[in-house]
Amino acid sequence: MATEDMWSVLEDCVKKINDNTAHPENFLSLQDGAAADFTTLTKLLYDLHKTEEPAEYKGSPLVQLVVENFDEEQIWQELELQNNAVMTHFENATNEALSDEKLSVLVEEEDDEENSVEAEGETHDDDDEEEEEEENDDDDDDDDEPPKQSKRMAQDEDGAEGYTDEDSDLDFDVDALEKREKQKKEIGRKGSRPKVVPSEVDDTFFKLSEMESFLDDMDKREGKEDENENELDYFQDLPSDDDDDLDLNDILSAKKKKKIIAKSSRNLKYKDFFDAVDREPGGDEDHSDGEEDNKDKSWQEGGEEIDEEADDYDGEEESDKHIWLMSKVTFNLNEDSEGEDLADIFGGKTPSSAISAVKSSFEKRQEKMSEKIEELEKTALADKPWQLSGEITSQSRPENSMLEEDVEFEQTGRMAPSITAETTLQLEDIIKQRIKDQAFDDVVRKEKPKEEVFDYKKKLALDHEKSKQSLAEIYEQEYLKQNQQKTEEEENSAHVEIQKLMDTLFLKLDALSNFHFTPKPPVPEVKVVSNLPSVTMEEVAPVSASDAMLLAPEEIKEKNKAGDILGDTEKTSTDKMRDRRHKKTVKRIKIKEKEKRQKLKEASGTGENRKLSKAEVAENLKKLTKGGKTKILKDEGKDKALRSSQAFFSELQDQVKSQIKSAKDPSSKKKKHKEVSVSKLKL
Amino acid sequence: METLAEKDRDAGSFTTVKSKKSQKRKREAGGADMETEGPGAPKRPQFPAISSDKLRGPDEMRKVSVPAHRYTPLKENWLKIFTPIVENLQLQVRFNLKTRNVEIKTCKETQDIGSLTKASDFVKAFVLGFQVEDALALIRLDELFLESFDVTDVKPLKGDHLSRAIGRIAGKGGKTKFTIENVTKTRIVLAETKVHILGSFQNIKMARTAICNLILGSPPSKVYGNIRVVASRTAERF
Repeated sequence: MATEDMWSVLEDCVKKINDNTAHPENFLSLQDGAAADFTTLTKLLYDLHKTEEPAEYKGSPLVQLVVENFDEEQIWQELELQNNAVMTHFENATNEALSDEKLSVLVEEEDDEENSVEAEGETHDDDDEEEEEEENDDDDDDDDEPPKQSKRMAQDEDGAEGYTDEDSDLDFDVDALEKREKQKKEIGRKGSRPKVVPSEVDDTFFKLSEMESFLDDMDKREGKEDENENELDYFQDLPSDDDDDLDLNDILSAKKKKKIIAKSSRNLKYKDFFDAVDREPGGDEDHSDGEEDNKDKSWQEGGEEIDEEADDYDGEEESDKHIWLMSKVTFNLNEDSEGEDLADIFGGKTPSSAISAVKSSFEKRQEKMSEKIEELEKTALADKPWQLSGEITSQSRPENSMLEEDVEFEQTGRMAPSITAETTLQLEDIIKQRIKDQAFDDVVRKEKPKEEVFDYKKKLALDHEKSKQSLAEIYEQEYLKQNQQKTEEEENSAHVEIQKLMDTLFLKLDALSNFHFTPKPPVPEVKVVSNLPSVTMEEVAPVSASDAMLLAPEEIKEKNKAGDILGDTEKTSTDKMRDRRHKKTVKRIKIKEKEKRQKLKEASGTGENRKLSKAEVAENLKKLTKGGKTKILKDEGKDKALRSSQAFFSELQDQVKSQIKSAKDPSSKKKKHKEVSVSKLKL
Repeated sequence: METLAEKDRDAGSFTTVKSKKSQKRKREAGGADMETEGPGAPKRPQFPAISSDKLRGPDEMRKVSVPAHRYTPLKENWLKIFTPIVENLQLQVRFNLKTRNVEIKTCKETQDIGSLTKASDFVKAFVLGFQVEDALALIRLDELFLESFDVTDVKPLKGDHLSRAIGRIAGKGGKTKFTIENVTKTRIVLAETKVHILGSFQNIKMARTAICNLILGSPPSKVYGNIRVVASRTAERF
């Protein structure tokens, strides 16, 4: 009854799932409805299987899955609680199933239920969990049922979630694991040792071929690891605090535990670890699985055993790594290098394998050291790279190599300002402030300074007569003048202008309207006179204009105090003498100033290092050449011989030839030697 | 007082005069009720506002002696002299024939006490040789001053040189002197070896420099040039 109810419920669930996932393309966008459905489903299934839970199973304390107002993470954690708790039981169950060879497909139903419940209890994919389940299932030697189950599970979950990517991953994962498993099994299988090649080094304990194969596996694994270095390896067993990580070893060890429970650590004997000594190397033996498996990992034995004895499943978190580490005697060396070494040593198997059997770790270390030493010696003896070889020109180093160098040098000048966002912001602030203050740096128009008209009239006229006014009156007038200026400014400037305009207008009208027009006498008015030539002024021909209005010649250029300028013929003797005297005084003054300057210069300049002026240099040169002992070489440019080496040598050759010729030929009247003068050749 | 007088009359004998001290004490002792009013500090004297008539002290007087050669010009210009003094400055002036002094005195009508100085200066200037109109400027303007110095102060000259110096200052027909006067807006009086200059401070300085240069021997044309320059500069400033 209960089961039938369950079945119906489960069928409903399945139906729901199928409905929701009928159109996988919907999942490209957020599907809140489907998500809600799934959460309710989860709850339903959880509750269901919780009720069905047998009493032995120590599940999580949660009787019901709480989903209201719970985040996915929280729901997940609830499930995890349950799963972790229940996992142990499942492990036991599967172990039993594994050990029990009588299991057949018929038993499938129960397992199926549990598994499917378990599987469908999760709406979200947990790679680890899946893997574990699959591994659990995969580890059944005898049945391929678990793999089928897992496949079915995978398919179910396909239907449940519609993630096509995961699908392929699951499949891959299963395959990979199967392969790995098979490989391991192959190694450890009773009847099949295809790779065992007997070698001289083989021992009761040691098989070279085994080691090689093992090493190959390691290399492959490392290779895989290298490939997947940067990617997250989804299928990797992550060590966690929970008992989630179960590896092949653990299963085996779990199996073994059962066997060894009877034995305590003190009762272990040699034969528990190793084969019988008399056995031939390379021969098969019929031993229990456990021992075989032990054999299989020849280096992991000790570690494993120890591991088992100390076994708590809690401690198995590091089992994998631990075993691996224990198997190697580590000397605090690079793992990589060790791996390489081994690879190198065993890589070229055929020639070296015979000679370099097994090397102790010390020997390996020594070899590495010697290699390093060799390298260092080589670099020390070799030529230095261009960076370290002092001054270098661009020809001696590769092209554009300086660009890749980080060169340090001092910069004496100011660096150009780096323009960053901050600097622009600062600038903008300044600009804004200036605009607010209206303080602009406008360019001021340059104006040509007006040349003031020579104020001729400014010269005070000297009155040689007794003043008519008394002192009091004079001061009075002055006082009044000062006061009057103030009042004058108050006059309306507009009125003045109007008056002026009116006057001119009336003048014109009068001139036009009268037959015999007599113009008014010119009123003296202050006017700025521009010193234009009179021709241009008179062209306009206003009636009351005259030449007198222009500047007088004295106003342009002040008259000489001496009077008229005389020419040479006009000068009398006194004038000439006067001029001479004047000239001499001027000259005398100049010379005195020069001497003064010279003295100052000499006083300031240092004795030997001072720079000689041009005059001094010329003087020195003159002194030197005066005696005739030294001669100045002048490069007049006429000597073509000095322009190029070719020309020089050709000239030299010619000269020598001619010399020879003249020497040979005594009758020739070429007596003139063209001496190859040293000075000419500048040797 | 009356009580004392009465007592004298009554007693007819020697009456002791009560000292003021004792009187004070009595008052204090008697007026026990007066203690509460305050400390026995002397009261502040209260004076009523006094009228200006009473403020006026005795009349001040100034005397200006007149040399003989100025006697006649004084007599001729007397009207012109005393009129502004009396009418404008409200002073009393008289010429003491015996002492040959012009005396100026303040009176009731005088408002400004400084006018006395002005008047005396005015008379002094006239006595020195200035014209009345020129001297009048002293009354009208505050900033005018009078300076006198001797030709020998500038340079110790003797005999002909001195005469020549004086001649240089004067110039032909007084030409040079007038020129300086006109340019510097001052009045100059040459009295044998003494030189008096009347004018404002700056102008006096200008004139003095010019005259000193003349005394020291520079030709008038040069002096003209210099003063012209200086005068134009000062004129520009204003």
